[in-house]
Amino acid sequence: MHSPDLLVIGAGPAGLSAAVEAASAGLDTVVVDEGVTAGGQLVKQTHKFFGNEGFFASVRGFEIARSLLEELVDFENVEIFQESSVIGVYEDGIPVLHLPSDTTRLFRPKRVVVATGASEKFLQFENNDLPGVYGAGAVQTLMNQFGIMPGKNVLMIGSGNIGLIVSYQLVQAGVNVKAIVEIADRIGGYEVHADKVKRLGIPVLLKHTVTRALGVESVEGAEICEVDEKFSPIPSTARELVVDTVCIAVGLNPSVELIAQAGGQIRYVAELGGYVPVRDEDMRATAEGFFVAGDVSGIEEATTAMIEGRIAGLSVVRDLKGSTDENKVSRLKKELVGFRNGPISARVREGLQKLGFDVSSGESRTGNLNNPQKYRGKLRPIIECFEAIPCNPCETSCPTGAIVVGGNINDVPVIDYDKCNGCGICMTKCPGLAIFMLQELPDEDSALIGIPYEFIPLPSKGDQVHLLGRQGEMLAEGTVQRVFRSPHKTNSVYVKTPLELADKVRSIRPVLQEDNAFVCRCEELTVSDIEAAIDEGYTDFEELRRKLRISMGPCGGRTCRLNALRILSRKTGKSIEELSFGVLRPPSIPSTLGSIARQKGAEDD
Amino acid sequence: MTEKASVVVIGGGIVGTAIAYYLTIKGQRDVVVLEKNYLSSGSTGRCAGGIRQQWSEPSNVRLAMRSVRHFESFKKELGADIEYVQGGYLLLAFDEEEETLFRNNVEMQKKEGLEVSILSVDEVKKRFPYIVVDDVKSASFCPTDGHANPHLANFAYARAAKKNGAWIYTHTRALGIDVENGQITGVETDRGYIKTGVVVNAAGGFSRQVGLLAGVDIPTESYRHQIMVTEPLEHILDPMIISFSRNFYMRQTVSGNIMMGQGDEDEKPSFNHDPSWRFLTQMSKKMPGLFPFLEKVRVLRHWAGLYNMSPDAQPIIDKAEDVSDYYCAVGFSGHGFMLAPAVGEGLADWIIDGSPKEVDLSNLGLDRFTGEVKREKNVV
Ligand SMILES: Cc1cc2nc3c(=O)[nH]c(=O)nc-3n(C[C@H](O)[C@H](O)[C@H](O)COP(=O)(O)OP(=O)(O)OC[C@H]3O[C@@H](n4cnc5c(N)ncnc54)[C@H](O)[C@@H]3O)c2cc1C
Ligand SMILES: Cc1cc2nc3c(=O)[nH]c(=O)nc-3n(C[C@H](O)[C@H](O)[C@H](O)COP(=O)(O)OP(=O)(O)OC[C@H]3O[C@@H](n4cnc5c(N)ncnc54)[C@H](O)[C@@H]3O)c2cc1C
Ligand code: SF4
Ligand code: SF4
Repeated sequence: MHSPDLLVIGAGPAGLSAAVEAASAGLDTVVVDEGVTAGGQLVKQTHKFFGNEGFFASVRGFEIARSLLEELVDFENVEIFQESSVIGVYEDGIPVLHLPSDTTRLFRPKRVVVATGASEKFLQFENNDLPGVYGAGAVQTLMNQFGIMPGKNVLMIGSGNIGLIVSYQLVQAGVNVKAIVEIADRIGGYEVHADKVKRLGIPVLLKHTVTRALGVESVEGAEICEVDEKFSPIPSTARELVVDTVCIAVGLNPSVELIAQAGGQIRYVAELGGYVPVRDEDMRATAEGFFVAGDVSGIEEATTAMIEGRIAGLSVVRDLKGSTDENKVSRLKKELVGFRNGPISARVREGLQKLGFDVSSGESRTGNLNNPQKYRGKLRPIIECFEAIPCNPCETSCPTGAIVVGGNINDVPVIDYDKCNGCGICMTKCPGLAIFMLQELPDEDSALIGIPYEFIPLPSKGDQVHLLGRQGEMLAEGTVQRVFRSPHKTNSVYVKTPLELADKVRSIRPVLQEDNAFVCRCEELTVSDIEAAIDEGYTDFEELRRKLRISMGPCGGRTCRLNALRILSRKTGKSIEELSFGVLRPPSIPSTLGSIARQKGAEDD
Repeated sequence: MTEKASVVVIGGGIVGTAIAYYLTIKGQRDVVVLEKNYLSSGSTGRCAGGIRQQWSEPSNVRLAMRSVRHFESFKKELGADIEYVQGGYLLLAFDEEEETLFRNNVEMQKKEGLEVSILSVDEVKKRFPYIVVDDVKSASFCPTDGHANPHLANFAYARAAKKNGAWIYTHTRALGIDVENGQITGVETDRGYIKTGVVVNAAGGFSRQVGLLAGVDIPTESYRHQIMVTEPLEHILDPMIISFSRNFYMRQTVSGNIMMGQGDEDEKPSFNHDPSWRFLTQMSKKMPGLFPFLEKVRVLRHWAGLYNMSPDAQPIIDKAEDVSDYYCAVGFSGHGFMLAPAVGEGLADWIIDGSPKEVDLSNLGLDRFTGEVKREKNVV
């Protein structure tokens, strides 16, 4: 048994940074990591990173990992265990499974930094359990770490940054990426990443989805479909692509199992990627002695992960030694604020606000000239145009001259609500679909939101629709209040939303048809299985779990839990936040009885 | 929520829902079940689901045999498949003391009408070749023992009771029981007040606390018991296998997972539900020696539940003395799942007709702990 001052779980940028701070203050530190080499997501990244110069901007991911590791190897008080998975957090210690030797080792550290990063979200479609259907992370690991090609012809699902970057990397490795399909009507990732793959001639099929994988033993093809305005596949548009790999890149969920097992409170914050640990600014979680850092505390970037890791490390030092480099801590905290200042972090800021942080960031999200509070109740446009792009139709279309982009067409628009008469023309003219209309309603708890809408057919007044957020996440259901056809092709749809969602609802869509797709691969449960059980009256996640054995397979619910909760939320009308998350039981990684019996460094008991 | 009820059952585990079920099929109206969490959230949803008639106390044998008859007709009666399997229960004896105990037990059990026999080591080896029998002396085997899925059984009772008109309130906690002049007048819950004259304490691990709500002192304490389950394997094990001296039990679920657990003498009374590494370690060191195939099998999950214990490890099923119409069905230690059908039936009769009728609950009273306490020996 080993009782270090600090156990760091995960050797990604967050964990390594925490270890560096703890070790330089003289703490006896152990780092354990599942991967073959340290670095977490970084080792898979062969592209150049965006970011802040102090934190390795423009350096390639794996090089960042190497230089963090070099900092660590100089310390004698640090031990790093690779290919070592934490089995669970128990009242009597933290056992770690060493995969190559199939042995276990028990740690009883004084403090723990959980820096376990994130795991991939999973997508429901027919035959998604065929060999050849991979998550993007697995593909990256195979390719960039082990030099193994996942296949020859790949279909990529998802055009977020990960989907775009992995496609680029696949082409770099000589793999043919047949297409990237994206269900939304726009690319999810940064434009620059999208431009990169477009330049390679990879078609990005917007408003498309994968409906099933084809093949008997393994993937031999995939059927894709256009989707209608309700995001339902249009059967007549189905076509088959000959591919041997389907790569899913539809987002990440923070890996909160361990911190939850430790008794740390977790909360659903969609903006941060799903369930995240509740923690304070010093990265201290609510479980005694536990800290978190990096993607596990909310999906962000390597840069923020490194800053958070350092803060966590310094906080541990403060805890154990009574003092820490407070100047450094406050400098790091300032850097974090600065980093999250930009428009791209708007979502993260919203998420942090939900966790109770004050992130009033200086940057005003709408270029408002006047105090928006003064205009509560007035129908007015909300302009979400932050990238300095050469564009000004909003200015030129406004009949009252309320919007000013100014002399430099690259500037962002600024609006004067005193001049605005609420006509909504700007919304229908903006090519970026970056303008929305807002009016708080007299009943005090709802608002009217106008959304630019380019799908056919248009919904009609009275229709029920899903209200979606900026990333297409489902927020609630609402009713269409008004619809305006516009001669400029961009129509306007007005929906009523709860007031607290007024700042979030930016899109609408009805229910996706996905009845026979697997939600839980381990137990082979489909959407309709789950819906049927809910209809029978199993409306508690724990009851559902016991009835259907959902999330009782080897994956421990990593892939299916949230998807099942979404279905439950949709069927019961309760938000995911209201539903009970259920328990996360150890072991997090299935270990053999033999490996548990073979314990290293433990006194016999 | 209803404002009044004829009977309020506190606890939505197997015992509470079985009682509610039998009350409703015997015609009782306005039955309420209160469950502070979700159905099967207590010991029931955490138990191994073993159904065994091989006990050392005749009263337990009788109750278990009666329950087995109910389990046999469960599907027909309630229309629900609860994965009930009669694969037998194999009790391994590792020393002379155990052999003597089992021989005496078998004699008594046969008198009670149970089909049960002693198997020699060779017979054990032949019938269950996956067991390393080096240290085994003999075994006791009853083919009509078995196991079922506790969640499904719990849900099935609740649904049937509900269909027959009972109100099942989950996420509703009993906070207080009003008693005036020895008469119950109502139950305070966190979702409202229910007027009633009859309360049943079926609160499992929290039986003592729910007793105190009405001023009834029930001598029970709760202890953590842990259990683990492996990845699914091909079907290997028909019977549930158990040893008292080696301190384990094991069975294979219908889905193929091997489920096993043990007791821990060092455990202190508590409401602790956290699993410990010590348990996993002890099980992993112990089990592959007897069952070598387990060595390479992966542990999927591992959890803990409460054994609600009376001083003699037998249930307390009684009506309180000082508070009229306060019933309790508690203290089931490690065998409340299997006894629930008979207990539900007997208690329902008691409440409706004033006596448990055909179900013998005579040795299970609250007053039995004053003199010498005779402990059930066949427990893990
Ligand atoms: C394709 C892609 C491109 C990206 N591009 C950029 C970019 O350009 N700029 C940028 O700033 N960021 C980028 N990121 C994001 C960045 O990589 C992550 O935000 C960052 O790596 C998070 O760091 P982390 O330390 O929190 O987690 P990770 O890097 O995910 O590390 C977590 C580590 O914990 C280990 N672990 C998990 N569970 C256990 C366990 N039970 N036991 C032991 N070990 C465990 C994992 O094996 C892993 O090594 C990109 C991410 C991806 C996927
Ligand atoms: C690891 C383990 C293995 C076991 N194996 C077996 C086995 O193989 N065979 C067998 O027969 N038995 C077994 N048992 C024992 C069995 O689980 C219990 O005896 C049985 O489940 C008891 O059922 P119950 O309904 O009395 O209690 P529970 O299932 O605990 O139900 C009581 C319910 O009351 C609720 N409650 C408590 N207080 C309040 C309140 N104030 N208001 C509202 N609700 C309240 C609780 O939330 C709980 O759901 C095992 C137990 C454990 C822990
Ligand atoms: S809503 Fe009308 S008035 Fe207001 S900015 Fe747009 S065009 Fe101008
Ligand atoms: S028209 Fe749209 S994209 Fe162009 S500046 Fe105005 S708001 Fe921005």
